[in-house]
Amino acid sequence: MLIDETAKLRKTILKMAYNANSVHIGCAFSIVEIVHTLYSKFIDIKKLKELSTHRDYLCLSKGHGVMAIYANLLELGILTEEDINNYFKDGSSLTGLADSHVPGIEVSGGSLGQGITVATGIAMSKKIDGLDSKTFCIVGDGELNEGSAWESIMIASHRQLKNFILIIDANSYQAMGRCESVLNMESFKAKFEAFNFEVQECDGHNLNDLENSLTTLINSKSNKPKALVARTIKGKGVSFMEDENIWHYTRLDQDTYNKALSELM
Amino acid sequence: MRDMISNFLVERALENKDFYVLSGDHGYALFDKIRKEAGDQFINTGVTEQAMIGAAAGMAKTGKKVVAYGLACFIPMRVLEFIKMSICYEKLPVIILGDGAGMIYTTLGSSHQCAEDIACLKTLPIKIFSPADKFEMKLSLEEAYSTDFPCYIRVGKCDKPTVHNNGPLTKLKTNIPIHSSTNTTAIFATGSMVSTGLEIAKKYDLSLFSCPILSHFDRSEFVSNISKFKNVISIEEHSIHGGLGSIVSDLIAEEGLNARLMKFGVKDHFTKGVGSYEYAMKFHKLDSESITEAIKNAGIV
Repeated sequence: MLIDETAKLRKTILKMAYNANSVHIGCAFSIVEIVHTLYSKFIDIKKLKELSTHRDYLCLSKGHGVMAIYANLLELGILTEEDINNYFKDGSSLTGLADSHVPGIEVSGGSLGQGITVATGIAMSKKIDGLDSKTFCIVGDGELNEGSAWESIMIASHRQLKNFILIIDANSYQAMGRCESVLNMESFKAKFEAFNFEVQECDGHNLNDLENSLTTLINSKSNKPKALVARTIKGKGVSFMEDENIWHYTRLDQDTYNKALSELM
Repeated sequence: MRDMISNFLVERALENKDFYVLSGDHGYALFDKIRKEAGDQFINTGVTEQAMIGAAAGMAKTGKKVVAYGLACFIPMRVLEFIKMSICYEKLPVIILGDGAGMIYTTLGSSHQCAEDIACLKTLPIKIFSPADKFEMKLSLEEAYSTDFPCYIRVGKCDKPTVHNNGPLTKLKTNIPIHSSTNTTAIFATGSMVSTGLEIAKKYDLSLFSCPILSHFDRSEFVSNISKFKNVISIEEHSIHGGLGSIVSDLIAEEGLNARLMKFGVKDHFTKGVGSYEYAMKFHKLDSESITEAIKNAGIV
């Protein structure tokens, strides 16, 4: 059962995807609760709106989940209804993958394994400047196939970037199939512990669980960077999309749109 | 030239606490001084070229002035897409230093030789410098440091003779006259090849221009200089595709100039055999004797 806020976010995502004929619906649905929790509980929105150098950064490295960010930015008043309604229209500004030219988006994450490297640089800079603000970075489990991600993971660990919080959207799928059959990378928890991260694992759709796990990581006295393995379901929130990888790349038609919307009412 | 780079980095680090030099575990003695005098501002990220470019971008996003250093065969070659998206697309004023460009690492083999960097970067919005000696290097570094645009500085063979022998340069130009003549043939050379061009220019009394800026240059200056000559020779320690020769070729074609162009550079192949730098130059027919022979055969001199 979804609470009102996250159902509303998913409705925005559906509306965007339907109007724009966009793919990547399942990829956005799996991170709705993660993004909502970060914006509502952990990120200082005032500083974000002011683009303060002291702000917390949310870097979406799995850029194809970007509709989840757009839906949240609409609620925060950083994007407008017009932005949402114009998605993919000629000359509009919201891209189908995270792009830092869009207000509220910190790094361009379209190229997998790249947003995390920039996020690491941001966290390095904050540490150099003695700032306590956080750099959150959401990566996909499939995205972690990329070697560059692990280069940055080593750097974050070696440089003790304690305010770098990596959230793995572990929805168990990548573009062409189950992660375990394409390129099995489990156990993430063991891997991140071996890379000297402080690790929590949680239900990535349970708001209390997410908040508690992130709070534990943030309040930790350890100098290690943090990793949260958020166990999620690709397509979460709409029964016929859940754990069905076709919603990585399938577009909505009138029937599927109406059916999906009706489940979120 | 290397002392010049080293001193420049140290001076900037000491005067600007937001200036950082990143290296992916390369550079050795080039960074001895900065490690000693401003050690906190030198960051060795480990052998992590991709993450280093991303980190440079992230640091630049938060207001740092960053130099990202590597061997040209890796920076920019290995990390081209990271430069494209994380630096160029974001218009971040990162200075990329690509060392050892050209055929310098003849004994190590093709993995460490680099004749492709300019061609690859020419497709991106980034300012490209290819200085010929320490004077041009100093001005390239200063311009890159003061601009708010991505920059690439190609560091080629560093121990070749200086070409500006009448005292230090004060201004970096698109075409810097090194040798002037009334002959109808001119050489346009860049980086390490300017000193080779100078040997030929002196011997046959040809005009010679050094071309240290290979993108975002002064087009009218370039066109005006080419248009004064009947024969134009381009020389670069880089592929004949996508570098200086291609720039000159484009200008001649696009502006309808009458000059005949002979391009000298690396032609579509890797160095065969191991040996000295001079051996590699001879192999690629970039030594002054081979170039002279070719232009003689073409009836230019």
